[in-house]
Amino acid sequence: MGVSTPLLGISVLAYMMVVFYFGWLGYKQTKDNDDYMLAGRKVNPFVLAFSYGAAFISTSAIIGFGGYAGAFGLGILWLVAMNIIVGIFIAFVIFGSRTRRMGANLKAVTFPELIGKRFQSRFIQGFSGALITVFMPLYAGSVLIGGARFMETALNIDYNIAILILAIIVAAYVITGGLIAVMYTDALQGVLMFVGMGILLVLTYSKLGGVTEAHQALTNMAYLVPDNLAAVGHTGWTTMPAFGSPTWWTLVSTIILGVGIGVLAQPQLAVRFMTVESTRSLKRAVLSGGPFIFMMAGVAYIVGALSNVYFFNTQGMISLEVAGGNIDKIMPEYINSAMPDYFVIFFLLTLLAAAMSTLSSQFHAMGTAFGHDLYREGIMKGKIGKTINVTRAGIATTIMISVVLAYILPPGIIARATAIFFGLCAAAFLPMYSGAIFWKRMTRQGATASLLVGTFASLFWLTFIHAKEATALGISQALFGVDTILTGTWTLVDPILVATPLAFLVAIVVSLMTEPASKEHIEQCFKKN
Amino acid sequence: MLGIDDPQIWLAYILCFISAIGCIIYGALKWNDDSDDGEAE
Repeated sequence: MGVSTPLLGISVLAYMMVVFYFGWLGYKQTKDNDDYMLAGRKVNPFVLAFSYGAAFISTSAIIGFGGYAGAFGLGILWLVAMNIIVGIFIAFVIFGSRTRRMGANLKAVTFPELIGKRFQSRFIQGFSGALITVFMPLYAGSVLIGGARFMETALNIDYNIAILILAIIVAAYVITGGLIAVMYTDALQGVLMFVGMGILLVLTYSKLGGVTEAHQALTNMAYLVPDNLAAVGHTGWTTMPAFGSPTWWTLVSTIILGVGIGVLAQPQLAVRFMTVESTRSLKRAVLSGGPFIFMMAGVAYIVGALSNVYFFNTQGMISLEVAGGNIDKIMPEYINSAMPDYFVIFFLLTLLAAAMSTLSSQFHAMGTAFGHDLYREGIMKGKIGKTINVTRAGIATTIMISVVLAYILPPGIIARATAIFFGLCAAAFLPMYSGAIFWKRMTRQGATASLLVGTFASLFWLTFIHAKEATALGISQALFGVDTILTGTWTLVDPILVATPLAFLVAIVVSLMTEPASKEHIEQCFKKN
Repeated sequence: MLGIDDPQIWLAYILCFISAIGCIIYGALKWNDDSDDGEAE
């Protein structure tokens, strides 16, 4: 890094002090379980929008997907459109308003509890809690690694120590301050990220001579696509990959649909809808939520792709070559060589904020899933009261699991962790969650069946068929001696396209075959408040 | 359009802007609207 370390150190320290201040405020304001779990159900719409966005967009969304755009081009912009339309508009207005109302009617404080109470099933709550407890630490582990890598290079701290420092700092304010601390620090981090990415966009376009000029230069570079990438469908940075090619399948099924739709059923995001007082707050939050996602994802991908023009102009190479073939290094290389020093410092803070905001909401969501949903409600059947301490112990435990995973898991699995978690959430939770809030006729049996089918179909597809995860996990290889048990295009189709429709179908068929819940219960769930 | 030849890409590019601006307009228009799913209270 070409920036002065003392200056960076001071900036990080100042930033940390503000974060801790918010954490302390959260601690002071936390009086009961509703405060700790749902920030008292009266969060400001702006805080909701920015904390939702900041939790959603991690360092890997900026660095990893920005780098993906650098390597494969602007086709990933469809994900931005999906993120804004599905991840913000549909999520807040259509899912959010019903989630908030039902959550308040049923006095649910977590996502698994909302579904569990809607279907009057401790099993659903406990099993959903268990799924989150087992798989979210994987996702958190990968974000932890991203954040620690940043601290390693930027602050010259040993990588293994960086993981610990980062985990301890975030754990401190999440455990003590609960969701109030999480959401206010997230919103603060969101503001930093918004400003950082805004400057990045303006500087990039101005450096490359303007919007149309920059795009035109990128379009003209199509002949520079390396042969090995052209062979798998890469046609240039301003064109879609060849239809049906491996690159096309990964882009469309895993990235655009998998991440674009999967976001609806993310427990750490869905729980935020229950933190606001009214539907009005959710509608107000759309105003800042849409532009926020655009500034994060949109800017990262546009800049990632345009880095090719910059590197070609300055070094005669495409970004992937400059980064030595490592997609994750494209964004850092570009920022370091193209941006002024003062901005590099600011951008490093932006990335740290992105990692910490995602981590804090993951820690809170998996801790509550473990302490509250799995242990208190699922195993102890609600017999141990409603103390916050059980949840705190749950958060501490799951954080430790994430740290251990970050140390011991092979990099191949960690790199796939986000996709695994998103796919699993979409298949296990989305059909059950949509049915819970939109379809009064959906029954407990239908929900249970769809939860189980979605979970196991998705895990099966990940372990034995979808090549990227199956190869990294190596279970299919160990059992059957082949990387994947199907071949050809099937190995490219993301689990979300198979397991989610299957779980929807099961939910509908089983619900129609079983007795509906009592009228009183349904009225209680859906009544206006 | 905008230096991008493939309509599948410039459509996505424009859609990103339109949807972000659409969110701003929606949020502003519905600033005091508390009804669920478009039903009037």
